[in-house]
Amino acid sequence: MKKVSIFVVLACLLVSCESTNYVPPVTSQMATARKGQHAGLPMLREGRTLFVHRCIECHTLPVLWRYSTEDWPGIVDSMSHRASLKPAEREAIVAYILAVRTRED
Amino acid sequence: MKPALRVGIFVAAILSALSSFGGARHFTFLYEANTSAPGSLELENWVTWRHATGPGRFDQVDFRHELEYGVTDKLQASIYLADWFYKSVPEHSGSTYSDTAIELIYNLTNPVVDPVGVSIYGELRAGDRLIELESKLITQKNFGPLILAYNATLESVWEGRDLDEREGEFSQALGASYEISPRISAGIELLHEFVFPEWRDTEKIRNFFVGPNVTYRRGNWFVTITALAQATDTQDEPDFQLRTIFGMGL
Repeated sequence: MKKVSIFVVLACLLVSCESTNYVPPVTSQMATARKGQHAGLPMLREGRTLFVHRCIECHTLPVLWRYSTEDWPGIVDSMSHRASLKPAEREAIVAYILAVRTRED
Repeated sequence: MKPALRVGIFVAAILSALSSFGGARHFTFLYEANTSAPGSLELENWVTWRHATGPGRFDQVDFRHELEYGVTDKLQASIYLADWFYKSVPEHSGSTYSDTAIELIYNLTNPVVDPVGVSIYGELRAGDRLIELESKLITQKNFGPLILAYNATLESVWEGRDLDEREGEFSQALGASYEISPRISAGIELLHEFVFPEWRDTEKIRNFFVGPNVTYRRGNWFVTITALAQATDTQDEPDFQLRTIFGMGL
């Protein structure tokens, strides 16, 4: 019984960690949710792919609501050089993050 | 200004301008599934101190100097310029060049969005008294700030003056690393080795090591340290190992 309890606690911890790791797939609503911004679906998809591949080379992915929409462009910009991100790739990552944030706000 | 100094400043400026980072390691006895960004170049220096007590006591410090290059989004290539070691036993001590190596890692799936991140790894080491082939299956899963990784490794070694001493080894390693802050991670690594001298399992050599790790990353460099203690009682194996990897983007 004790072993089962430990297993359940560990499973709950991993599931809670996994839920904070949510990197939602791109939807058509995301492309239309950002008022005044132009980010098409291909750009958002590229942003998500780059986000989950390049950023984890140095650190785990932060929860997207940890930082404000105003802070995210500067945060990505500060790490884009060491992550070998070209300007268009950096913009795609920022567009994806802001699209997720806009949808959740 | 002297011409050599001018050239030095120019090269430093160019390297600084080109500087990009292949990524920070969270483990030293395990590999992670993600590969370096395409076009990134990184220098990693490995230092491993092995200490054994008892009748076969020794101290050995292994050095590896790795240049790691991101070829594509999925493929990473490395060259180990020189693997060498300093060994001290009661009778003598000295340093010896061991080998030079090349390594390829190909990423198949991502540890965040796929159920499990998987990569395959191949390495060839060659020296005047050593040839070694190593293949590895790397798996990893990220759970928020927690990284879990597992490596299964198969090695074939030919060594000695005529490369007539053969040995096989299967090892598995398990690691966990938790990101305490954006700069610091800490965790644990476990290493389980099955050694087959002459590709036979008659001696039943099993080694098990366990210990903590810690990583600090800042700008375009990182340092990761793991200390492993032997939990088994194999005489010829180190009782304690301390590995440090210092990496910096070029």
